[in-house]
Amino acid sequence: MGLSVSLPRSAAVTDELLDSAPPLGADELAVLRRKVLSGLALLAAELPAGRRLVLDGFRLRAALSRPETMGQADEAFAPSPWRCRRAVGLAAIDRCLRAKAPAPAPAVDEVLAGGLHDATRLESGEPARAPWWARWYAGLPPAGRVVVAAEATTWATQLWTALDWGRLPRPVVVGGHDDWWDLPCRRITLHGRAEVRVRVDGRSVLVLVGAGAPQVSSRSELVFAALVAALVGGTRSAPGRVVGLWPAAGQVRVVPVGVRTLDGAADEVLSAVATWVDVIIERQGVVAPGGGHG
Amino acid sequence: MSVTLCRAPAARLGSESLLARLRGDGTERPVVDPGLAGGLRDWLEDALAASVGRLPEAAPPLRVTKEAINQVLTCEAHFLAGRDAARRPTPELARGSLVDVLFRQWVTTGIIGEPLHDALVALEVGGDPDGVAGFVQRLDPVHRRALAEEVAAHAATISADWPSLSPAWMPRTQERLIVPLAGGRLVLSGVVDLALGAPSGGRASVCIVEVKSGRRRVEHRGDLHFYALLETLRSGAAPFRLATYYSAGGELDVEPVGADVVHTALHRVLSATERLCRLVAGADAARTPSPRCRLCPVLDDCGPGRLRTAEAAQEEEARWD
Repeated sequence: MGLSVSLPRSAAVTDELLDSAPPLGADELAVLRRKVLSGLALLAAELPAGRRLVLDGFRLRAALSRPETMGQADEAFAPSPWRCRRAVGLAAIDRCLRAKAPAPAPAVDEVLAGGLHDATRLESGEPARAPWWARWYAGLPPAGRVVVAAEATTWATQLWTALDWGRLPRPVVVGGHDDWWDLPCRRITLHGRAEVRVRVDGRSVLVLVGAGAPQVSSRSELVFAALVAALVGGTRSAPGRVVGLWPAAGQVRVVPVGVRTLDGAADEVLSAVATWVDVIIERQGVVAPGGGHG
Repeated sequence: MSVTLCRAPAARLGSESLLARLRGDGTERPVVDPGLAGGLRDWLEDALAASVGRLPEAAPPLRVTKEAINQVLTCEAHFLAGRDAARRPTPELARGSLVDVLFRQWVTTGIIGEPLHDALVALEVGGDPDGVAGFVQRLDPVHRRALAEEVAAHAATISADWPSLSPAWMPRTQERLIVPLAGGRLVLSGVVDLALGAPSGGRASVCIVEVKSGRRRVEHRGDLHFYALLETLRSGAAPFRLATYYSAGGELDVEPVGADVVHTALHRVLSATERLCRLVAGADAARTPSPRCRLCPVLDDCGPGRLRTAEAAQEEEARWD
């Protein structure tokens, strides 16, 4: 899975991104879907009454590589410059790609100004759709807002310089909607996301950006995103490749996605969900009904 | 390639001059050696394999930072004492952190309001891992006012010297560089105050800038060489220029990057990492007296250190006699 890219890296990474994908048939995908459905249905039946489980990349990683941390209470989410750099950075990259901004730094400024405008409208009772970080951002003093801009600019610049965007076939979706796939009983949900999506030869290609350096579980996280996308949209949206980028470490991982890869991902998902169900059952006595992982 | 240290004249740099020295005219930049990064990585992996093999199996990844390198090469006992002690803010650390966030603010927006207030807000919003904001809040009014005046002077120097940077230069602040080695058991890491230029495969195009609020120290060049090594390993291309900006006086040290710079950094990293691995594996720490002994928290238990400080005190007395 590892990749030794030649220079310039953005061209070499883009070559990998545009390379051909293994074949994937509708029948193979249907078999895979049945396997996931039946396996997760059994696990959902074990969940305590009133409990739901959402498995995302973070929880998959915890189950596969840090199970000792799973019994700890979830940290309450609080916005921070570090946590909103992805959302702001992706919106900025999108502006650059659509030629609405010449470079990441001014694009970030525009995105933040837009968020501030939306938050102000909401505050005054006007109808508006503000991004999740906007109200928090609007409440910061000017010097605090600068930290948000600086973090997002660095993040966006790293992604902007990591790919040869001009060679990507249009449309390029930056950010876009996450993939959510529910069991019919809605007690278990798989949540996948990708920073960039393109279509190459009729198959989608996902680009995921990681923090720090790749870990042992990184391949699993990449193919998890591919599996969820395939379950949501079938062969139409089943990725042909997943590219993982770790800008801080300059690392790249590429996974061609065929049925064997997805089958392995399904096994890992079932294993991770089983581990989480066990944890939830163990915590049943100390967690309030409906709290925790839903 | 010989290393040339370009030093700014005593007079304050003009902002145009500063930019010219950071970016050059483009024609002097070295051609990227596509095999350099791979060769350096192999060299590090091979040379450190035995040292890493001595680390305890359950040991967490060993982080090799510029601070760890400087300290362990100065004195192993001093390094261990610093590592084991809780990091407490000092006036110098506080000033450095405050100036760093103001520099970031200036590069990002070109605006600084009330310097100490802005810096404290930025630290708090950013999480303030070193507890600097709390330290400053607890200062008595006299020391707090003195710090505010000092920080304001640095901010004035920065804003006089640094023009707004073109977005086309892709300026990025506090950029983290991470190089895992030995399957992740070792991690070389650093945070660059300012990086300019997008990595390129043709000619070297990245310039790295460190901001220092204190006086010149000999290890500052070593810090930048370490960052040059990290950037080379990370992006595959060495930076073309390194710079240290001293915000007290507005001086800029600029150094071009050749293969000798990254080779020097590599040898320094090897030497330091071998010592770090040995210490983590439980070896006794060597005690190496130096002028820093007088500030060392374990001086009372260190014979060579006490001897060194006593001799230094005698020399000082003799000078006054």
